Amino acid sequence: MKKLLYIFLAVIVMLLQSCTEEKMDEINFNPNNPTDVSSRLTLTNNMIELGVTGVGGSMMFYASVYIEHTVGDHAQHLSAEIRSAEPTSATTYNNDWTTIYYSLWSLRKVIERCSEGGPEEGAYHNLGRAQLLSAYYLAILADGWGDTPWEEALDPSTYMQPKLSSQELIYNDVFQFIDDAIANLEKDDLSNMGAQDVFYGGDIEAWIKFAYALKARYLLRLSYRTPSYNEVIAAAGNSFTGIDDQCLLTFDGTSSQTAAWYRMLQDRNSHAASLSLHEKLLSRDDPRDDIYFVPNPEGDGDLVFAENGANVDIQSLYGISGLSVADAPTYIFSYHELEFIKAEAYVRLGGAANLALAKTALKKAITAAFQKPNVGLTAADAEAYFTDNVEGLFDADPLSEVMNQKYIAFYEEEALEAYCDIRRLEAMGDDVIELKNPYNNTVGFPQRFTYGSSDVTTNPNVAAAYGTGSYVYTEPVWWAGGTR
Amino acid sequence: MKKIFMIFVLAFATAVLALGQTVQVTGTVTSQEDGLSLPGVSVTVKGTTIGTLTDAGGRYSLSVPQGMNTLVFSFIGMKTQEVPIEGRTRIDIILVPDLVGLDEVVVTAMGVSREKKSLGYAVQDISSDEISRSGNTNFAVALQGKVAGLDITPTSGMPGASSSIIIRGARSFEGNNQPLYVVDGQPIVGGGGGGSTTGGSDGTGRVLDLNPADIESINVLKGQAASALYGIRASNGVIVITTKSGTRNEKGAPRISFNTINTFDEVSRTPDYQTTYSQGSSGRYSPRSSQSWGTKIENLPDDPTYGGNSKGYPGKYKVPQLVDAGYDEADTWVTPAVYNNWDEYFKTGFTTQNNILLSQAVDKGNYAIGFGETTQDGIALNTGLQRWNAKANASREFGEHWKSGFHVNYAQVEVDKLSIANDGSLAGILAAPPTYNLKGIPYNFPGDPYKQIYYRSLTFDNPYWVAENNTSYERTDRLFGNTFLEYLTKLGESLNLNVRGQIGIDTYTQASETIWGLGHKGTDPANSYVGESQYRFTNTNAIGTANLNWRVTGNQTASLLLGAEYNDNKSKNVSASGTGLNFGEWQHVNNTATPSKSESKGWSRSVGFFGQVNWDYKALVFLGATGRYDIVSTMPSANRGFFYPSFSASFVPTSLNIFANSNWLSFAKIRASYAEVGQAGSFYEPYYSAVTGYSNGWYATNSISIPYNGASAYGPGSTLYDENLVPQNTRSYELGIDLSFFNNRIGLEYTYSKQNVKDQIFSVPLAGSTGASELVTNAGRLSTDVNELVVNIVPVEAGAFRWDMHFNFMKMVNVVEELAEGVESIFLGGFVTPQVRASVGNTYPVIYGSSFARDDNGNILVVDDPSSPYHGMPQTGAPGIIGEVTPDFILGANNTFSYKNISLSSSFEWKQGGSMYSGDNGLMMYTYAVVTQTENREETFVYDGYKPDGTPNDIVRGGPNDPGAYQTLFDNVLGDIDEAFIFDNSFIKLRDVSLKYTIPNRILNKATIGASVFARNILIWTALPNLDPESSNGAGNAMGGFNRFSLPQTTSYGFGLDITF
Repeated sequence: MKKLLYIFLAVIVMLLQSCTEEKMDEINFNPNNPTDVSSRLTLTNNMIELGVTGVGGSMMFYASVYIEHTVGDHAQHLSAEIRSAEPTSATTYNNDWTTIYYSLWSLRKVIERCSEGGPEEGAYHNLGRAQLLSAYYLAILADGWGDTPWEEALDPSTYMQPKLSSQELIYNDVFQFIDDAIANLEKDDLSNMGAQDVFYGGDIEAWIKFAYALKARYLLRLSYRTPSYNEVIAAAGNSFTGIDDQCLLTFDGTSSQTAAWYRMLQDRNSHAASLSLHEKLLSRDDPRDDIYFVPNPEGDGDLVFAENGANVDIQSLYGISGLSVADAPTYIFSYHELEFIKAEAYVRLGGAANLALAKTALKKAITAAFQKPNVGLTAADAEAYFTDNVEGLFDADPLSEVMNQKYIAFYEEEALEAYCDIRRLEAMGDDVIELKNPYNNTVGFPQRFTYGSSDVTTNPNVAAAYGTGSYVYTEPVWWAGGTR
Repeated sequence: MKKIFMIFVLAFATAVLALGQTVQVTGTVTSQEDGLSLPGVSVTVKGTTIGTLTDAGGRYSLSVPQGMNTLVFSFIGMKTQEVPIEGRTRIDIILVPDLVGLDEVVVTAMGVSREKKSLGYAVQDISSDEISRSGNTNFAVALQGKVAGLDITPTSGMPGASSSIIIRGARSFEGNNQPLYVVDGQPIVGGGGGGSTTGGSDGTGRVLDLNPADIESINVLKGQAASALYGIRASNGVIVITTKSGTRNEKGAPRISFNTINTFDEVSRTPDYQTTYSQGSSGRYSPRSSQSWGTKIENLPDDPTYGGNSKGYPGKYKVPQLVDAGYDEADTWVTPAVYNNWDEYFKTGFTTQNNILLSQAVDKGNYAIGFGETTQDGIALNTGLQRWNAKANASREFGEHWKSGFHVNYAQVEVDKLSIANDGSLAGILAAPPTYNLKGIPYNFPGDPYKQIYYRSLTFDNPYWVAENNTSYERTDRLFGNTFLEYLTKLGESLNLNVRGQIGIDTYTQASETIWGLGHKGTDPANSYVGESQYRFTNTNAIGTANLNWRVTGNQTASLLLGAEYNDNKSKNVSASGTGLNFGEWQHVNNTATPSKSESKGWSRSVGFFGQVNWDYKALVFLGATGRYDIVSTMPSANRGFFYPSFSASFVPTSLNIFANSNWLSFAKIRASYAEVGQAGSFYEPYYSAVTGYSNGWYATNSISIPYNGASAYGPGSTLYDENLVPQNTRSYELGIDLSFFNNRIGLEYTYSKQNVKDQIFSVPLAGSTGASELVTNAGRLSTDVNELVVNIVPVEAGAFRWDMHFNFMKMVNVVEELAEGVESIFLGGFVTPQVRASVGNTYPVIYGSSFARDDNGNILVVDDPSSPYHGMPQTGAPGIIGEVTPDFILGANNTFSYKNISLSSSFEWKQGGSMYSGDNGLMMYTYAVVTQTENREETFVYDGYKPDGTPNDIVRGGPNDPGAYQTLFDNVLGDIDEAFIFDNSFIKLRDVSLKYTIPNRILNKATIGASVFARNILIWTALPNLDPESSNGAGNAMGGFNRFSLPQTTSYGFGLDITF
């Protein structure tokens, strides 16, 4: 009996030892995730995600349908084409919505780490990168959603339901981020991201040029509200000087790196060759027409164009994009865009000298766009095309031709930026890019993206702004003449 | 022997010494049922308070005052016997089991056997025969309709398909709602499985490892009061399983029993396919379309492009896939015909189960050794299950006080599966155009097995190609068992102590293989994939208990149980995978262009201390209380320990004398209980995680894999953990009444229970604009009201004929009372839209998705704009709740007719109400237009709705001048409205019928032979069109309410044979 008691006591002691606080802490240690990671490793994630989701995600795929770069011919993109469900649903862009805010949150942690008092204080270049990437993400946010949570965003322990901030205020912060980034990138910093810098391999000068490119783009974006074409030209002057400077997310085409549109075609096959784009190319006798579109590989050999908004739901019928190849890059900021920006700014300033400069910039832009790897034309091809088909149109209507050329050059990777241009042009009364989808006149042209469902379902401030989602057809964003 | 002799001597001496005042009477009490000695039997001297309890060996010794003549032996579950002493000093007694239903003994928590009538809460037991007689290979499915309060939802009829077992509703929004399984005293892993609602393949639940043939009895501890002793893991109820061990054998020679069951499976239901219209769109035949909105089949030869009438092949049309297949030109022109691709694809499945069990009971012990083998060939190509089970157990008494033994079970389960939802292997079977000869046309180009021929775009693979090129395989090797040591002693005249220690392990390794062969989703090699993963799980469990039984006086008994439990879980998952097969013949990770790997580990531990007190008075009043303190590693360090009490009481008025001679009321009991049990959450410090790839929500495979040009990537963990997390708490009340009339010919057990779960632990979704995605914290409440009724009736008992009826009824209302502030609903599974969610004010779970636009009165609004293609058609409204999954009630009805050695049993189940998102039906009816619901495309129609001005819709669409209207309505409008895909999920099923004949052993000289025939799932009445409602995606918390390209259910027929000698 006594023996039994001793055994019993021994067991109790063993049990108590097996669940002490230290032991339980040891057991609950998270073996799968580190608690601290340096900024050079998290910045990489923000750069790649900017390409994969920020400029190459749902917003691009839908914008492409809205602006008629492509025709949605199946599933969600067909719904977008015929303005049913998708354009007004809160779930449509939710993935981009959450990814962009997550990236901004992650970048804020980098900014805190690299600022005064942080564990990486003095890492000015990473601080500058984080600020510049923040500017980019923040501008996408403002361009897509107008007024959106910002001042109270990214602070879950204080604000579970952030209020909306005005797009104007957000844009002020975009410029502040760019200016701070330039200041920090110009400081001395011995650290080098090396291969972790997937945009520029650690080249800080390239980052500074990229910062000025963004400044030019966003100054031009606000042209309806505050035209500042000289500042646009000045910023562009500090920026890219050739194709080598542009900011890309590259894909090598192997199964570990396949381009956005290529993956989309493989996995969803819901975009078809757009008749209205084809007609624009045809009217200019543009050599890219034969490159941009190819017959459906599952079809019967003919190149069939989908009539915008009047197409049928057959995935194997219409032609598909010839640019959707596995190694097409995603343009974070292309050199041709910078030249198009310059061209527009010069056109807007007006006067013979400026128009001459505009023409030079336009030619450079077209030449660069012709040499996109998946277009594969030469500078000579561009030269011939410019002389034969563009120059005359430019002389007749400089703004129309600059913007139409930009629209054509942006096919298909830069649809998101083209969508911003179209909305801005409409606000400025320069409706120079003709869209053919009949639903624009019946249901409407989507003026913006719906707020993400992750906020619509949890944040009353955003839910109220979302309403039923039908506002996307009626309310342009602030820089496009709207109120919110 | 020597010891026993010594005891006799001692007893005799004591008796002699006591001469004059008392007579010492000794003896042994054994059970008639199994011949084993019975410890704990109350032995009293009639008319006095003198008494004792038998010891571990069933022995007793009692001083009987002179002049007293009668001893009373009583024991729960046995008939009480009064025995005249008649001057004897040694009285050995055999107690006879009391077979009157309500006096039965059930195994309660921690292996404590108790009389059912003493319990203050509901439990329900099922015998092995009820489980085995219809030949189910999965014991979870065999339980359907047999127990009140259980909602069992199988996902499909595929071999090894997972199922969800929910006892009395859900308690956790996102966490585990499956019960704890206790096999031979050891808690083991039983749930799991289910897989994703949106893709991949179903994962088997670990309950599949149990061989139904090994099970002797099952007892379901439904409420928290019943399961409270098991602590935090038992908040969802406990299924206590006892396996066959030989204890029920007669002592003597070994007994061998062999049984074999053979079953034929067929697909349970064929959709009603339309036979009028061809593949195509907009009334035009299109040989690569996924839809059947084409021209009339009879008009195919007139088609301007593909018709043969104008191309020299009158009466025929061209099938370009036959060109792909390399046919001669003339053979690519075919006569229009209608194919039922569903029926042609499914074959007759076959299942065979063989089991052999050797068991023996001897004087001081017993053992059993068994083997089982199950081979199942599924109804779909390349699906099957192979299971091997082995078990051994033994126990033996050592000396006077000690008893020891072990149980060990091994299972090896291999399953070949198919994938579902966005990876749906059978999507092309379900929605194949009636004009396409899917089985007859080759599935790959001649000479290139990796280039598919198919009727549609390769976003889905050809099902016949799938069978040859894709693999979804899973193998589990599992060992679980325990060893125990028991010490039994008497601490006094009427005080028994039983100390038991048990240590067990439950360990399994699961290897899974997923292969998308070269040619998957088209010719790009990057779409091909090979994934291998190994998951290892080990649970170590030790339980120690000390059980004190005390006969306080002749009228009162009490018992006290104290115990402790140690539970430690370790897991590790490593996987290697790769995309881009370099060549198709070698499906191996080493043959992939982009390999990747991952690792994940887990470790958790809980230690619990518990106690239980029971007291009863004159079999009239029973009181019980339990308490348990658990310390759990997964909680923040300040909140790791917590205590849960439970109380129960019952009152049995029929024990009063006034009812002693009642003819009509045989038994009555009123019971009540209260219990608290919790569930622990998980807590981690803020962390970063390594990113492995990028797919932005659109891609099936990553567009970028890490490392990217030599760079790695990390991001902050988007799940935040609340450092003030406390365990969630379930408070449950249960009230019940048990009545039995006319000598137990009619029995009723009614239970009402209410559960309130507060401080739910779940991942509260954060607004995306906060940057993070979720916060694991305490928030929200869930309440459950359950009414359960069990009715047993014996309407006829005449001579050898007996008719038994057994009904199980459950009505459950499971309401999400509150989520976190500002959170109206949370995501549980599903697509971008629709989804499975938990939503405030609704039952759990709900279907959430795009709805019909409605006016203020809730009427469906139609578009009133003649210029719109949608004129007169409904519109998509805001996303919202579009259906509740929970059924209104479930009624199981079991009938058994027996006459001598023949018995006929049947079991029906009626599930009423509850909605289902039937993606399959929606797609077949609207998008793909393959079923009869789409066959009428020529008449005009007025959509049932209201115009914006409030008047009923009168806009006429369709007809000869508006030929596209049906496709516009079905495909473009309804096809986009998830609410149109919501269907009533009510059904009545004849779950099984079986006829069994037993040849008695007197004819066959000691051998018993039983033969049976059975059928399962043979009659189905359901509100759901086209499909069997018990086919869904993801077993877990979707609870059968979500379907898209799920795998179908089966109807089965079979026969069995048992031989015992």
